[in-house]
Parts: sequence; structure tokens; C-alpha cells
Amino acid sequence: MSDMVPLLKGTLDILVLKALSWTPMHGIEITNWLAERSGGELSFDESGVYQALYRMEARGLIEAEWGVSANNRRARFYAITPDGRRHLKAETRQFVRYGELLTSILTAPPETRGAR
Amino acid sequence: MIRPGIRRLFHLRLRRRDVVERETREEIESHLAARAEELERQGLTPEDAKAEAIRRFGSLDLARRRLADAALVRERRSAVREWFEALRQDVRYALRSAVHEPGFTLVVIIMIALGVGANAAMFGILDRLLVRGPEHVVDPSRLTRIYYSVDVPGLGRFSDNTFGYVTYTTLRDGTRGFDGVAAYSENDEGILGEGEDARRVRAGHATSDFFALLGVQPMLGRFFDPTEDQPGAAQHVVVLGYEVWRSRFGGDRNILGKTVPIQGDPYVVVGVMPSGFTGANLARVDIWMPMSLRQPTSEWQTAWDAQWLKVVARLSPGFTREAAEADASQLFRTVYAGDEEPFREAQLHAGPLWYDDAGREPMEVAVARWLIGVSLVVLLVACANVINLLLARALRRRREVSVRLALGVTRGRLVRQLLTESMVLAVMGGVAALLVVPVVAGLVRGVLLANVEWTGSALDLRVLFVAGGLTLVAGLLTGLVPALQIGRGVVSADLRSGMGPEGARASRVRMGLAVGQAAASLVLLVGAGLFLRSLHQANSADLGIEPGQILAIDATWPSSASTSRAERRARSTTFYDEALRRVQRMPGVEAAAIAIGTPFFSSFQERLRVAGRDSIPRLPGGGPYLQAISPDYFQTTGLRLLSGRAFGSGDHEGSDRVAIVNETMARALWPGGDAIGQCIMIGSEPDPPCTQVVGTVEDAHRFSLQEQPAMQYYLPLGQEEGIGGSRLLVRSRGEPGSMIAEVRSGLRDVDASVLWLEVATLQNALDPQMRPWRLGATLIGVFGLLALVIAAIGLYSLVAFMVTTRTHEIGVRMALGAGRRSVMRLVMRRGLSLAGAGVVVGVVLAWGLASQIQDLLFGVSAEDPVIYLGAGIILLISAVLACLVPGQRATRVDPMKALRAD
Repeated sequence: MSDMVPLLKGTLDILVLKALSWTPMHGIEITNWLAERSGGELSFDESGVYQALYRMEARGLIEAEWGVSANNRRARFYAITPDGRRHLKAETRQFVRYGELLTSILTAPPETRGAR
Repeated sequence: MIRPGIRRLFHLRLRRRDVVERETREEIESHLAARAEELERQGLTPEDAKAEAIRRFGSLDLARRRLADAALVRERRSAVREWFEALRQDVRYALRSAVHEPGFTLVVIIMIALGVGANAAMFGILDRLLVRGPEHVVDPSRLTRIYYSVDVPGLGRFSDNTFGYVTYTTLRDGTRGFDGVAAYSENDEGILGEGEDARRVRAGHATSDFFALLGVQPMLGRFFDPTEDQPGAAQHVVVLGYEVWRSRFGGDRNILGKTVPIQGDPYVVVGVMPSGFTGANLARVDIWMPMSLRQPTSEWQTAWDAQWLKVVARLSPGFTREAAEADASQLFRTVYAGDEEPFREAQLHAGPLWYDDAGREPMEVAVARWLIGVSLVVLLVACANVINLLLARALRRRREVSVRLALGVTRGRLVRQLLTESMVLAVMGGVAALLVVPVVAGLVRGVLLANVEWTGSALDLRVLFVAGGLTLVAGLLTGLVPALQIGRGVVSADLRSGMGPEGARASRVRMGLAVGQAAASLVLLVGAGLFLRSLHQANSADLGIEPGQILAIDATWPSSASTSRAERRARSTTFYDEALRRVQRMPGVEAAAIAIGTPFFSSFQERLRVAGRDSIPRLPGGGPYLQAISPDYFQTTGLRLLSGRAFGSGDHEGSDRVAIVNETMARALWPGGDAIGQCIMIGSEPDPPCTQVVGTVEDAHRFSLQEQPAMQYYLPLGQEEGIGGSRLLVRSRGEPGSMIAEVRSGLRDVDASVLWLEVATLQNALDPQMRPWRLGATLIGVFGLLALVIAAIGLYSLVAFMVTTRTHEIGVRMALGAGRRSVMRLVMRRGLSLAGAGVVVGVVLAWGLASQIQDLLFGVSAEDPVIYLGAGIILLISAVLACLVPGQRATRVDPMKALRAD
């Protein structure tokens, strides 16, 4: 367990949105999707996914509707809205740039200063 | 599956807290159960699986609470967002259909624009007149003008607002009810400049505490102080009005301390007023001077019986008007030391600033109040028509509506949609109303209230606010009726074609609206007719004299020229005699005369006794009033001599004392009809000489269009004593206004010391009195025609709709042999019966209102049947016109097509 990567604050929303960008899902499908995509390396409380869902629903990024899951259980299905897609696109760009920036700084070779 | 968001749009409501919490719990349980199931499949025991599912979920209690809270926030926000989303869709839909039917949209916009615009404009006018008061006045509602009312035996109660200086000082120093008291006079004549530059301006005099009392700050410099408002002050000072400062002095910011000539005297400019300042009244004042410079008598500071100034006062905190009035009246009665008996029991009143000089609501304000009512009627008629059009459209759209209902759209949603549509139309109309406001306001400002100084825009914030409010009301009103019809299912059922019972109910509403519109139009037409008739009556009223034909000329000399009374009189006599000789030689002049005491300008009274009578009877019109006139006065003014002779060249100072009395005086004093040869004794000496009556002349009005008959008598010029202030009156052959320039240049060099020569028609002095009728006739007429056109459009659309929906029936009739004529009759009967019902309702309404408006009319009864008849005929004619086109269309129905079309 200790070698799992903890989730950085604010990243869960964008991951959930990414999950929903393929198809509407209910909560447990989303958590499974996240676990699958990360190869089980992400560590997060599953309740956090619901927090993220409610939060984004309030902001109009996703919409929800009660339905019946594959194994005949009543579940809330979440779907991304056009606003959600725009948000996902913008946030993705941000995150990727951020990641690249961090990577380039953190992995740069030691600088040589004033040697000349 | 319908997209979730869309489905939610149609039944929008905030779900209750317990529902949200239950659903959240359910979602959590569902998640845990599914997760446990999965883990069990991977080989865990049911207990372990359950424990692991909970562990992965996180702290269960905390998560439950947090999620429930988040879910509530979510619900609230979604509701708001979706509400706006729905609104956006509705507005878009409304705009689309507005563009789709441009004719319809345009008609609705124009109607709402006219209705809202007229109302907002009238609000702006009354707001200035009644609520906000003169510009730059702080807290005008606590500021009052002081009036007195006294009981004059035989004459009844009399009210006025002019006082002596001593009343001002008494109130200022002695009352507790008033925080501050000031005196002013605002309509004084001032001649600014000298020689060719001299101009007549509107002058005001004020005590030095006046400006602080109003709360105004000078734009430049300062106001005069108490030492400058004292007899014998070191120098004369003046505060310039903003407009005069701009136009005469080019807005010179260095003007303070400079000297300007006023009435031929040097005045030092100490300040400039802010733009729009008009003192305690609403008319422009060009120059303000200290009150102490206006001294009607030598003992002006203590005289009780000379009255020339107005008093304003600010109520003390905690004092009501009534309490302050009682306190002031008490004080006044105690202190009064004049010898006019009624004043010992005088009642003082603290009236609003906008009251007229007699302490009543001015007629202009009364007319303006009516105009607000009239513009409200126009708005209602316009709304009724918009409702009519919207209902017709709703009927046209009933298929669309039933499709949408079948698709699961709720009625509530549809109602909202309709409201949004009417609201969008109303807002467009409201925006267009901003073009209407300046036009209507300009008309009212220019015609009715030309004396009021209007500096602000007609579209200020308050007017905008009212326009916005009225627009919302119009939108709600016009949306609600069609929406309620939908709500009741009137247009919802799938009506195949023709009118089902629900359609009939909608059309009953429409017919009711058409009748209401016709009735309202009739009321306005009657009102316009009454005012038009009043204006006509006022214009052609027999005033005795004929002001439309006469020019009045008077000269102003420098006030300070240290001349004695006798010298002034000699100067005046010399000037007017020469001026009379010159104008008599002008070819355009029919007759000319000199008079002391001129109708619409001045009037005098002297003590009078009559041989053989103990006292002079008191008439409601007052008097006897006295004028001194030169021989051609009656010819000049158009007064008819009834008996005896007019004055001739033999009647002058020193010749036999003679007089001519008017009809009323002759009848009052010598009822037997033998006025000629009688003796009247003029003057207050113990035993004045006999003045013999040599003629009688018809009555003439003295100041106003509406006045009671008064006793008047005339003396030959030169035989008068103690009165002064001549005018030269000229009767022109043509239009007198065109002679003004000629007369002025012809008299310019008669006397080089004349500061200013005023030449104006008598009609000029009378014109302000015509304004209420002129405005009433103009605006009620315009509004009435507007309402008529709107109502006619409404009737047209209703009848046209009827023709369309009854094409089948008409076709059947024609197939059965009905001729074009009888089809036309069918259509006409329908339209005219609605209009006729409107006429009946309107006549009853107008009759009911008649007594309210009678006081505002002149020479016409508010129940004049001719006017009612005329209004009814106009309305019916316009109804015939409105039915003509749909009727034509009905006669062109092809029976074969109509029958097959079903």
C-alpha cells in the first residue's frame, strides 16, 4: 500500500470528468475505471469520487439521473455536459503543461554557474 | 431515454431535504453493496467483503454527512442554473417568434411604447411639480409656503400668499413651528444693461436667509449677507442666475466683484447661482437682489397693509404642518396691528411649494393629474390590444401547443413560456418607449408649463425606473391573460378546425376586451372634445376688450434718478402724449389710447361714495375699480359704449369732473337705469367734489378669463389722483404682433432717458391662462386618437379572425344564396355591435366622471350631449372602417373552396 500514489488535491474532479467523457456511468463504474486506468496505483477514498460528482453537478459540469445498473441495482447515472467537456479540455491543457513544467524543472541536470 | 437535464427542465422544483438525504444514502448503500459483491466474487467472505468495501469508501459517517451536504448544495445550484437555462431558452424562443412575425411584433412594440412612454413622461412632469420641487432645494417636503385666509364679510373666504415685511420678521423671530423663515418675490421686472444692450429679465428679491433656508449652494461666489440686505447698504449687490451668466456674460468666471447696470443703477455681482435654480417656485429667475431694495412704501418694514412678498418656511423637526400653522396663526393674530378687520382673525396656512398664489392646487397640476389618468387608459387600451393579439396568436398556435402538451410539457411550463414571450415583447416596447418620453415630455413642458424652467432631461433615473416598472407590469398583464387561458385548457385541446367551445370562451374574452377598448376610447374622445370646446370657448370668450387686437406699450426709466413724484408724472405724461401722437400717425394703427390701469396688468381702487346711498354694495367680483383713460380708449379696446358719451378732447385735468361707469356698476348703484347725470364722490377726503356720470359702457375683464362681474368706472386721463403707471394701447388694423418692431423703432427717440420700452400684445398676458385647455385639448386629443386607432386595430384583428374561422359557415351561406351584401352585413353587424356596446359603456363611464372634470372646463358642460354624440359617431365610423377590409374578404369567399376545404 505504501507505494501507491496519493491523489493531489483537485485532480480527482478532472479524472472523474475524463472518465465520464467516454460514456455516462454510475459511481462504482467510475471508481473501477479510475483504478483500472491507474493500474491500481492511485490511492483515494471512494467517497471522494461522490464528493467530486456532487460538486461538479452543482457547477453544471455533469448531469445525473436515476437508472438501473447492469446488475439490476438502482443507481445514479452521471453524464458530462457540454460545459463539462469545455472544462475538461481546458483543465487537461493546464494539467499537462503543469506536469511538463514540473518534470522539466525537477529532472534538469544541475546547473553550472559562474564557471567562466 | 430523454436527456436527464432536459427532463428536469420541465418539472423544476427544489427537492426537499429529506428526499435528497434519502437518495444520497441510497446511492451510498448501492455503492457499498456493489463493491462488496465484487469482492465476494474475488473470494472474500461476505463479512470481510463488507468491511473492505466500507474501508475503501472512507470514514462512513463523515462521508455520509459530507455527501448529504454536498448533495443539498448541488440541488440548490442546479435548480438556479436550470431556471436560468430555461429562461434563456424561452427568451430565445420568444425572440425567434418575434422575428418570425415582424408585423405582429412591430404593432405590439409600438403600442407598448406609446402606453409606457406617455405614462413615464407624465410621471416625470408630476415628479418635478409635486414631489421633487424646485431644483437645488433640500428636503422640499418640509418646506412650505405661507398663505393666509380671511373671512371678508359679504365676500366669503379669501386666500392669498402676499404679506408685508413685518409678517416675515414676526414669523422669523416668533414661531417655534418653523425652523427658518425667509421672504422673497420672484416675478419682478428687471432691466439688465443699458442703452442698446438693455434687456428685460426676470428678477427676484429675497431676504438674505432665503438661500440657506432652501439649502442651495452658489456655483460661484456667495449670496448676499444681512448687512447687504438693509436699507442704505453701502452698495447694491446681485446674484446672477446661471443662464443669464452664460448668455449675457459668456460664463465669465471672473465676474465676481464686477459692476452691472440694473434698472440704470450699478450693482456688484457677488455670486452666480447653480444651473436650474429657480428659488422656491419653478419659473426661471435671472437675477436675485436683496429684498430691502424693493420698497413699496416708505414704512415698508413696519406696514401691515402693504403686501408684496411671499414667505417660505421650513417646518421645525417634530412639528406637523397643522401644529406649525396653529402656532403661526396664533402669533399673527396677536401681533397684527393693521386696520383691516378681517386680518385680526386671519388663519395662516403652510401649503406645499407648488400651490398657486391663492393656496390651491394650480389648474396646470390638476390637468397634469388628469393626463396621468389619460395616459394610463392609453396603456390599458394598448395592453388590451396586445392581449387580444397574443390570444389570437395562441389560437393560431393551438396545434403546436397540443403537440407540446402531448410531448409531456407541463402547462406550468407553457404558461411560463408565454409569459416570457409577452415579457420580451414588453421589454422591446419599453425600450422603444424611451423615444416616446422626450416627445410627450417636450410637448407638456412647452405647452402646459412653459413658465417652468426645465433644465433636466426628460429621461432621468426616476423616469427610467418608472418606465421599467410599467414595462414589467405591461408584460405580466399581457402575458397573464393568454397564459391563464392555456392554463384553463382553452386552447390546449386539439381543435380540429372551426371553433370548439374552448375557442369560443377565448373569443368571449377577446370580445370583452374589444368592448373595453372602445369604451376607453370613447371616454378619451369625450374628454378631448370637452377640452377642445373649452379652448374654443376661451379663445372666443367675450372679455369686453379684444386682447388679440391690442398692443400694450410701457416705458421703464432708471429707478434711482432722483426725481420727485411730480417730475416723474410730468416725464411720463410728456412721453406718452408724444408716443400717442406718433403711433396715431402710423398707417397700420386703427386707434390708440393711454390708460392708467390696463386689463391684465394693473387695477386700482379708490374710496367711493355715491350721493343718496349709505354704502356701496359689495359684489363677488369686487370693486369698484378705477381706470384713467384718454379719449379713444373704448375704440382702441373694442368696448362698446351703452349710453351717454365717451370722453373727448374737452375732458382733461381741470375741466368738469366726469366719469363713465360700466354696466354692472350702473345696475348695482342705480337699478332704475338712470346712471347718467348721477354724482359719485371719489377720494378719502371728508367731502370730495362731485364727479358726474356721463356714460355707461359694457363690462370688461380685468385679469382673467374667468371672473365675476365687477364694478368699474373710468375717468378722463388727468383727472385721476393718486394712481400712476401709464400704458399706451394700440389697436392695429392687421395682426398686432407684426407691428411690434415698427412701434418700437418709431418710439425709440421720444425720450433718450427711457431704459426699456416694452411692446407686447395683450394676448401675451392672457395666453398663460389658455394653457390648461390648450394642453388638455392637445394631449387628450392625441391620446384619444391613439386609443381610437389602437382600438380600431383590435376590432379589425378580431373581425378578421372571425372571418377566417367562419369561412366555412360563410361559404355555406353563400352556397345557399346569400349575396355579398348580406355577407358584408353579417360582418358589419358583428363589429358594430361590439363598438356599439363600447359606446354605451363609454358614455356611462364618461358621464360618471363628468362632475370630476367640470371645474377644469370653460364655458361648456361636462355633460354636453353634442360632444358625447360626436365622440360616439367618430367611434362608430372608425368601427365601420375597421370592419371594411375583413368584410370585403368575407364577400370574396369562394363557396366551393370553402366547403371542400373542410
